[in-house]
Amino acid sequence: MNGWILAATVLLTAGGGAALWGVATGPLSRRVVAQNLSTTVICPSLLLLAQGYGRTSYVDLALLLALLGPVGTLVFARLLADELTGDRPAAWGLTWTAAGVGAAVVLVLCAVTGPSRAMVKLLVIGALLISGNVVASRALSGGLRGVRDG
Amino acid sequence: MTRRTALAAAAELLAWWAGLVLLWLVFISTVDTLERIVGASVAAVGALLARAGRRSVIWR
Repeated sequence: MNGWILAATVLLTAGGGAALWGVATGPLSRRVVAQNLSTTVICPSLLLLAQGYGRTSYVDLALLLALLGPVGTLVFARLLADELTGDRPAAWGLTWTAAGVGAAVVLVLCAVTGPSRAMVKLLVIGALLISGNVVASRALSGGLRGVRDG
Repeated sequence: MTRRTALAAAAELLAWWAGLVLLWLVFISTVDTLERIVGASVAAVGALLARAGRRSVIWR
């Protein structure tokens, strides 16, 4: 157990627990938001775990999740478009908080890694994570016409 | 296809290819000759797909 694994555990327990609770309870609009935010919680945790265990290949898991998580949310936004028309989920405070956590984790890991290809990879993952999450949140709140009108 | 559009297409493919090769080189763990060859090849395929995808979304 080191600091990285501890940080990942705290993040997974607090954020993952909150996301699980949000997904399992409440109205549909809250559930899709929680589902979307779970990516933003789990991806930085995977990065922290990769650092904690000293296995850089685990970073690929975070990369895949940062790529596929928002895609999954877009599928939900498309499939649930009719159900979500009356009750547009918008949680921009939470979205940007989660994005900030992700950015902080990525920047700390970049500082530890130092300038190298691994750092560029981390930055790409961070950019994918944050932009994907913001795009998915916009799609959920009805900001993207292509998703809304199909 | 005129000479101008052919040049534009080639430039776009080259830009996609360069970006994808760069991504490949960043994502792999060790850079060696085999990785360079594989990366350049899949980036070429990816560049064709990327241009086709972009053209299908933005109608021109």
